[in-house]
Amino acid sequence: MAVKTVQYKQHTFSISYEILNPGAHYDIIFLHGWGSHKNLMKHAFGAHLKQFRHIYIDMPGFGNSTCNMTLTTEDYATILESFISMIEVDKMIILGHSFGGKVATLLNPEFLVLVGSAGILVPKPFKIRAKIALFKLLKFTGLSSFRRFFVAPDAQGLSQPMYETFKQVVNEDFTDKFRAYKGKALLCFGVQDTATPMWTAYKISELISESKVVEFDGDHYFFLEQGQTVSKEIEKIVLKSLEH
Amino acid sequence: MKLAILFGGASYEHEISIVSAITVKEKLSRYELSFIFCDQDHKFYLIDGTKMKAVTFSRGEHRKMPQIFLTNGGFEQRGLFGSKKHDMALLNLIHGGDGEDGSIASLLDFFHIPFIGPRKEASMLSFDKHYTKWLANSLGIKTLPYEILHKEDKRVVKTAYPFIIKPARLGSSIGVSIVREERELDYALDVAFEFDSVVLVEPFIAGVKEYNLAGFSTRGEMHYSIVEEPQKAEFLDFEKKYLDFSRSGNVAEASVSDTLVQQLRDAFKTIYLPLFEGALIRCDFFEIEGEVYLNEINPIPGSMANYLFDDFGDSIQKLLGSLPDKKMIRVKYDYIHSISQAKGK
Repeated sequence: MAVKTVQYKQHTFSISYEILNPGAHYDIIFLHGWGSHKNLMKHAFGAHLKQFRHIYIDMPGFGNSTCNMTLTTEDYATILESFISMIEVDKMIILGHSFGGKVATLLNPEFLVLVGSAGILVPKPFKIRAKIALFKLLKFTGLSSFRRFFVAPDAQGLSQPMYETFKQVVNEDFTDKFRAYKGKALLCFGVQDTATPMWTAYKISELISESKVVEFDGDHYFFLEQGQTVSKEIEKIVLKSLEH
Repeated sequence: MKLAILFGGASYEHEISIVSAITVKEKLSRYELSFIFCDQDHKFYLIDGTKMKAVTFSRGEHRKMPQIFLTNGGFEQRGLFGSKKHDMALLNLIHGGDGEDGSIASLLDFFHIPFIGPRKEASMLSFDKHYTKWLANSLGIKTLPYEILHKEDKRVVKTAYPFIIKPARLGSSIGVSIVREERELDYALDVAFEFDSVVLVEPFIAGVKEYNLAGFSTRGEMHYSIVEEPQKAEFLDFEKKYLDFSRSGNVAEASVSDTLVQQLRDAFKTIYLPLFEGALIRCDFFEIEGEVYLNEINPIPGSMANYLFDDFGDSIQKLLGSLPDKKMIRVKYDYIHSISQAKGK
């Protein structure tokens, strides 16, 4: 592991990162999802894609990277943009899982690999909608101390700035951002995924002209067991275009 | 024979220390052993010998075991009906920070607890690789040329490629990288500076002969282990070192000339006496064109380098029998008394 500091809007961010296969010629950057960290991505992909130099990054506020201000997804992209140029890494391929997929899209790499990416709004199930309605009612009656029973799993245990960040980045519609991306995209999604269901992958592929959807057996974290298969797909698409 | 093994500590090598302690436990089975675990918040726990497994600590089960407290002459277990004293000699097996930086040595000396391990002066000089260079050079022992880089310095290295970058105050290869070309430099420094604000740069000599020698003294008489030529890929990375710390079998003695053995022993003795008395240490050397260079001093080697000694249990017993005495100071207030008398009060 390694650490580098980035200055952004009068704040200092300590960014923890790790590089594998330092001698390889082509770069691939891995961005984890909300509440996750780089080691999860390394666990899935570290042993594969040997012909690439892997760059695993803990996004601000996660893993060993720090964050003490509220950020938007654009802020994340700006911070990562300057970090990537500081470590002199090429934005050739960026793989992003879930929330990391949105950040990856904004970074505008040559090849975008979206693994169970967020960005298309999914209607909340009735249970969640009921919970929100109930809490609003409780708040009205002054019983907001029950809040902790209602907080989404992704927002539990967050520091104040990270909770505010969560509210900023959750349920963001990225339709326009996907449409603005002009590179090549590979969309790997899990068939049993409920957080970012399969249909959202097809929706994204309609927005990005040069894109390919690959369906995988599994949920939102299908790639943890199928790192090799995902890697094969990446090799296929990247090597094919290098030939041209 | 009673002996307590002290391990853990607030250190990057905390987990390695646990592995070390478990290995030493097996090797000292004929001793009446106790196990004292120091957690990352500096709380001490008395660990049940049957629970000496790595998962006991990773699962936090040690917190259910009795907490003990430092007191004059030993540790104290406090209960509802008075307290129980645990006063036996200690083996300091905390690697890295706390254990090797002089903190534990000072603490134990202050509380008059006899222990195996480096004393505070020895700790300070061997913990920082920069100070180790000063020590060796002042004693006429050769070391590789080096340069020092501080975190806030400009990242300019004068040493020719390839070179090796090491955090100044860390063991077990943590944060160490070999840099072959310029594009690898920045990352290697980011890695090293994560662990320490000072790093050492030394030339990397591929295929250099490496020899390890451990030993200790009993009242001035040196006892040496066999000389080992460590296995190395390029160099031992953290994961390999980690495995290395659980070594318990015996290793083959390196086939080296008597002259070289003598050279290594002479260098070892020069470093060891009298600074390291009370400790069993391992010195790692390079041999370049017939000359011996000191690479590093491990004042608390992984699993106490047990695998280098024919009879490890006997070695520890010898060492226990000759721990350095700390001169006791008796305050008699003679001076104040004499002045008071002169004043007639």
